[in-house]
Amino acid sequence: MSKIKQLSASFRDPSGFLFTDSGILYRQINRAYSNDYARLMDSGLYDKLVKAGLLIPHVESDQLPAESDAAFKVIQPERVPFISYPYEWSFSQLKDAALATLSIQKRAMKLDMSLKDASAYNIQFVRGKATLIDTLSFEIYKEGEPWVAYKQFCQHFLAPLVLMAYCDVRLSQLLRVYIDGVPLDLASGLLPAKTKFNFGLLTHIHIHAGAQKKYSDKVLVAPRKGAMSRQALIGLIESLENTVKKLTWKPAGTEWGDYYENTNYTDSAFEHKKQLVKEWSAEKKPALVWDLGGNTGVFSREAAASGAFTVSFDIDPAAVEQNYRTVKTKKEQNILPLILDLTNPSPALGWDNRERDSFGARGPVDMALALAVIHHLAISNNVPLPQLARFFAAHCKWLVIEFVPKSDSQVQKLLTSREDIFPTYTREGFEAAFVTCFVIHKSESVRDSERTLYLMESR
Amino acid sequence: MHFSPLPYLDPGSGSFIIQIAIAALLGLGVALRASWGSIKKYFGVKPKPEDEDSDSDNVQD
Repeated sequence: MSKIKQLSASFRDPSGFLFTDSGILYRQINRAYSNDYARLMDSGLYDKLVKAGLLIPHVESDQLPAESDAAFKVIQPERVPFISYPYEWSFSQLKDAALATLSIQKRAMKLDMSLKDASAYNIQFVRGKATLIDTLSFEIYKEGEPWVAYKQFCQHFLAPLVLMAYCDVRLSQLLRVYIDGVPLDLASGLLPAKTKFNFGLLTHIHIHAGAQKKYSDKVLVAPRKGAMSRQALIGLIESLENTVKKLTWKPAGTEWGDYYENTNYTDSAFEHKKQLVKEWSAEKKPALVWDLGGNTGVFSREAAASGAFTVSFDIDPAAVEQNYRTVKTKKEQNILPLILDLTNPSPALGWDNRERDSFGARGPVDMALALAVIHHLAISNNVPLPQLARFFAAHCKWLVIEFVPKSDSQVQKLLTSREDIFPTYTREGFEAAFVTCFVIHKSESVRDSERTLYLMESR
Repeated sequence: MHFSPLPYLDPGSGSFIIQIAIAALLGLGVALRASWGSIKKYFGVKPKPEDEDSDSDNVQD
């Protein structure tokens, strides 16, 4: 029996929507969008964008539409291995997503099409590259009309990037509060005065914010026909592109950017851990792995070597930035670095709390790695061991977890300025808590260290 | 507004007006660049080949 389900985030655009049938993802295209779709396919724009890795490929499908009254066609897009959100991206990920959006708009204009939205949520990382996943974002360009997505582009991309570059990289988290991007008056107020001497920032952020305020309660009088020439629109897009390209952020001074240089690991312990992760991943052959506390992705890469798509989560924006730069340099296709605070993971957001999935709702996965992370959760965040066991068991089938004992200098550091209220935080206590949710298949002492690595299967 | 048909997202009155003003200015730059190109061409300077992939750092080789 077929089981049709419309995706809860896919309701804004009347051009069509996403649905699943028996677990397969489809996109219904409505009749109202038929001309624009035909232009996208016939003009060669689709082929060009797919070839450049800027647009998700799809095939036209014989699948019955979910709402047949409005339907024109059903397409089956390639499935993205893991959906991520802009508040989980590092600086360069958001910057590349912004540049990909502008690059798509420039290519579209050459073939008389234009983007009708510029939502950061329409971009996903596919094969390591920022890729547009909304096939229905294009419309036939009408000479003289301004870019309808200008406001959205500035709110979703430019404002958070500028705040990250000029104020603090953690301000990307404003995107978690403001689902339609950072309000420009907020960005303008937070930015240092020197940004007013930058033409792009003066116009696209500061003056733009002022104009929004000035005209907020005014009904727009129709401007003369052809208010904005094609040349003017190209100028606008190029200006946004130059402004974004000049924004930089260099990871420095954040929590764990140089973590691996400041640990008590010996080279042989580190290599032994890598070898165990590699062996166990190769043995279990997971399709999807979450590396929780992945730092710059050293162990994620060992898991990914088994062919798994590996999402490498870390709390530190500097580590995630470094990890993403490695992905780009090495052209790695199956590693996705993301920012995540495990003690407060991404919640469900948006309309009816169903537009953006929580961290947990995007799982469970075949395998999770929790290396050198348990002491941060159990001691720094006071999470009792049985709760940690339940948490991991809810999110993965296989768990590779490292127990770091109290005698380890990293744990000692956490306990220097506080009372030790963790009598059960011992190897025995850890195993007793975890066997209620997991079957322990393997446990190996990490060479030249007091740590133990476990391979467990959830019950 | 003379959008046809009307967009499904509100482009915002302020964003709309300021966009036209900024773009008019920036459009002049594009026009000047184009005429400078034809002047150079007149004097036999070859234009740089247009490289589609150079418009984004993100674009694959």
